[in-house]
Amino acid sequence: MLEDFISGKKSLFTTGVHTELRAQENKQRRVSLVQGNLTANARLETAGVSARVYKNGVYGFSSMAECTGAAAETVLKAATENALFMDKHIQKGKNIFPPIAAGSMPLNKEICDTEQKQYIEFVKEVDAYISEKYPNLASRSVILSADSMEKIICTSDGYDGHVTLPRSYIYLFLNSESTSGVPLELYQPIGGYGNFDDIFKDPSQVYADVDALYEKLMQKREGVYAEAGYKTVVLGGILSGMLAHEAVGHTVEADLVLGGSVAGPALHKQVASELVTMVDFAHTALGEEAPLPVYLDDEGTPAEDAVLIQDGILQGYMNNRESAEHFGVKPQGNARAYGFSDEPLIRMRNTAVLPGEDKLEDIIASVEDGYYLTNTNNGQADTTGEFMFGVSMGYEIKNGKLGRAILDTTISGVAFDMLKTVDMVSDNMVWSSSGFCGKKQPMPVGMGGPALRCKVMIGGR
Amino acid sequence: MEDIRSIAQITGEALKQEGAEKAQYTVTFKETHEFNVDGGEFSLFRTLFDNSLSITAFKNQKKGSAFTNKLDAAAIAGTVKECLASADSGIADSAYDIAPNQGKECFREGSYEPDADKLFERTRELMEEIRTNHPKIVMEQMIVSHVKCHTLYQNTNGTEFEYFRGEYSISMMYSAHEGNKTTSFFGSSVNTDNLDKPFIELGSFAKDLCDVEAQLTTVPVEGKFEGVAVLTPSSLGSFIYSAVSNFVADSVILEKTSIWLDKLNTKVADESITVSIAPTDSRICCGEPFTNDGFKSEDYNIIEDGVLKSFMLSLYVANKSGFERAGNSSFSLIMKNGNTPYADMIKNIKKGIIVGRFSGGNPGTNGDFSGIAKNSFLIEDGEIKGAVSETMINGNLAEMFNNVVAVSKETVEDGNSVLPYIAVDKIVISGK
Repeated sequence: MLEDFISGKKSLFTTGVHTELRAQENKQRRVSLVQGNLTANARLETAGVSARVYKNGVYGFSSMAECTGAAAETVLKAATENALFMDKHIQKGKNIFPPIAAGSMPLNKEICDTEQKQYIEFVKEVDAYISEKYPNLASRSVILSADSMEKIICTSDGYDGHVTLPRSYIYLFLNSESTSGVPLELYQPIGGYGNFDDIFKDPSQVYADVDALYEKLMQKREGVYAEAGYKTVVLGGILSGMLAHEAVGHTVEADLVLGGSVAGPALHKQVASELVTMVDFAHTALGEEAPLPVYLDDEGTPAEDAVLIQDGILQGYMNNRESAEHFGVKPQGNARAYGFSDEPLIRMRNTAVLPGEDKLEDIIASVEDGYYLTNTNNGQADTTGEFMFGVSMGYEIKNGKLGRAILDTTISGVAFDMLKTVDMVSDNMVWSSSGFCGKKQPMPVGMGGPALRCKVMIGGR
Repeated sequence: MEDIRSIAQITGEALKQEGAEKAQYTVTFKETHEFNVDGGEFSLFRTLFDNSLSITAFKNQKKGSAFTNKLDAAAIAGTVKECLASADSGIADSAYDIAPNQGKECFREGSYEPDADKLFERTRELMEEIRTNHPKIVMEQMIVSHVKCHTLYQNTNGTEFEYFRGEYSISMMYSAHEGNKTTSFFGSSVNTDNLDKPFIELGSFAKDLCDVEAQLTTVPVEGKFEGVAVLTPSSLGSFIYSAVSNFVADSVILEKTSIWLDKLNTKVADESITVSIAPTDSRICCGEPFTNDGFKSEDYNIIEDGVLKSFMLSLYVANKSGFERAGNSSFSLIMKNGNTPYADMIKNIKKGIIVGRFSGGNPGTNGDFSGIAKNSFLIEDGEIKGAVSETMINGNLAEMFNNVVAVSKETVEDGNSVLPYIAVDKIVISGK
C-alpha cells in the first residue's frame, strides 16, 4: 500500500488559497492471449505526487514522479508559482471556494496484488476451454486486465483521505463468419470492482459466459441486416447505460455546460418522459454498493449522489468546487483525476437511468415491429446530445415476439428528443463498468440502466 | 535520482544478473509545460516532471514486460525481477525477438527547451483572434503545451538510440452558438516545433473555425440516396485509421481476419491512392526515430498507386506470419495529393456531402461502416448548400478507396499527418 508522505506537508500550504496535495499509485496488469499466442504479458506501475493551488479564479498544478517528502515540497512550490503566474496575467479576481466541513475518509479497500503466473494460468485455462469446445471459431482472444488507483489526498479545506479503486476483468472476444460470409465478432467483459482474487476464484466460473457468448455468436451467424429507419426499439440495459453516460451524462458535466452544451438552457425543463429518472451515484446505488464506488473526490469533497433528471425534468449538473460556486449549488464529489500527474476534472461515477415498473417480457410483447438491442461495441455523443451507438447484438421483434438476430448496425438520435419517446421502463437493471471514459484523461466509470421502449434511428446496412 | 545513463546501466546489469537472455529497455525523462483554457477563459498552468523505465525481457523464448516510474536502484531491481518472473510464467514462442545490433545513434528534433512566456502569448493571441474574428465560437477547451523528452533506448544486442525532442502542441474543442442555434463540437489540433507563426496560421485552424460557424445554418437532407462524399483531411485521417486497423494491423494479420490477408502486391485501391507512414518526412513534427522493437525507423508505403505494398506489422507478428515487418511503428500518416483543386472537386459533384467528422461504430472486420456525418455540408449541383443535421452515411472502407473520384491538390499539414481532401462515390447518405 502507498505510504503517507504528504500529511506532514500541510503546514507548508499557503494561507488564503485552496490547496490540494495528492500522492497516488496506479497499477495495471495485462495478459492477452490471441489465438493462443501470448501477445501481452505486462505489469505497469506509476506513482508520484501532485499539488494544485487555486488562487483568484485560476489554478496552478505540478507533479513529480517521486514518492518522497522532498518531491511533495517541490510540487507545492511549483504549483503555487504557476497559480501566481496565471493570476498575474489573467486577474480574474474570483473568491476562494466556500468552505466545506473538514474530515477524514477511511480506506475503503486494500489493494492486493496477484502474481503474473496466476493471471497467465487463468487465461490459458479459459482459452483452452474455448479452443477445445468451439474449434469452429474463426478466432478467439482472452484478455485479462486488472487495474487499480490508490490515492492519499490532503486538502487545505475539506476532507483528507486514503481511497482506492481496484477493478479486474476478463474480456472474451469470439469471431466467426455469417452464413453469407460477413465476418462477425462479439465480446463480453466479465468482472468488476475488486482485486482479481476477490472476483475470480476459478476459471470455470466464466465458462457459462463463454457458452452464452458463443450461443449469441451462432445466432448472429444467421443474422439479417436491420431495416433502416425511425423505429420502435427496446434498448437493453447495456445500451440505456451507455445512453445515460454518453448522450446525457457528458452534456450535464458543468464544464461542458459552460462550454456550450445543450443542457445549459434546459435546466429545470422537461428533457425526457416522466418515466425517466437519471442519477450519477457516488458509492451506493439502489441499496447496494455501486459498480465503481467513489467515496471522496480529489478536491476533498465527500462524494454523494447527483440527481440529473427527476421524472423527466433536468434537475442539475455534475460539478467540481469551482463550477458548484458558479451555479450556486453544493459540490457532490465529481472532481476526479486519473493519474498522479493529472489534475481533477469533472467526471461521472456511476451514471444510470433508474428502473421502472414494467416487465421486460411485457415490453417486448408490446412491440409490433421493431428491435430488441442488447449489446454495443462503441458509443459517441455530441454536446448537442446527438448520439451514435454501434449495436453488436440485437433481435427483430415481430408481433410481440423475438425473431432473428441482427448483424452489426448503429442507432442514433438526439438524447433530449429520444428520451421523450420513452413509454415503458423495465423493473430490472444492468450495470457495466469495464471501460474507460475519455475526456483529456481516461477514467474508470460505471453506467447502467433498465430496458427502455423508445424510438430511434437505426442504421440498417 | 540517478542520471539517465546510470539508470540504463543499472537496468542492464540487473537484467544480466536475473538471467535475461535478451532484453530491451527505455529510460525516459519528460517535462511538460501546459496551459488550459476552459469555457473560453484561461484556467490552469501545469508543469509535470515524469520519468519512466520500460523493460521487455526474454528467457527460454518466453517474454515479459514491465513499466515503472520508480527509478532508484532498489525499485529498478524489483521491476527487473517482476519482468523476468512474468517471462518465466509466459508461453515460449520462437517468434519473440528484438532488432539485431543497429549501432549507436543520437537524434535531436524540435525545440528542446520550452519558451513558456511566448507559448502563453501565442495562446492569448489565438484566443483574441477567435474572439474578434469568430465571435460565434464558444471554446469548450483549449490545451497548449510543450513537451521536452529525453529518451535512451538500449538492448542486449548492442543497439543504443538516444533521442532529444521538444515539441509544442495546440488542441481545441469548440462549437458555434447563435441565439438558440448550436453546432456539433469540433476538435482541431496541430503539433509544431517552433512558435514563429501565430497559431491561427497553423494546420487548418482558420478554415475549421469558419466551417463550424457556417454549420449554424442547416439544410434538410431528404430521404436516402447514393452520392459522393468529400472527406476532409480531418475525417480522412480517421477513415484511414479504421481501414488500417481492420486490414493491415498486427491483430488482424495474427488472427487472419483481414480481408487483405492475401492481397499483398495486388490492387486494393484506386491508382490515385498512395498512403505512407513516414516519420522522417520533414512535414512531420518530431517523428519516431526508432521502432518499438529497436530498429531505426524507415518510411514506407502501405498502398502505392493503389497497390498494397506493406502490412503494419511488428517484428513479432512478422515472424509469426512470414510477412515483412513494417519500416516503423508510428502512425505518421501521409497521403499523396492529387491534381484537382478543392474548388473544382466540389464543382464537379452533382449530389453529395462534405464529411467534416464521422461519428460511427467501429467498422466491422469486412469494412462496413455506418454512422453520423458530423460537421458536414450538403452539396448539390456543384454548390455547398448548407450544413446537415441528423444525417447518416454508410459504406464499406475497402470499396470506398476503390471508388475515388478525385484527390485534391491542397493538403493540410498538422505536424502529425499530411492529408488531402478526397472525393469518393457510392456512399449511402440518409436524412431523417
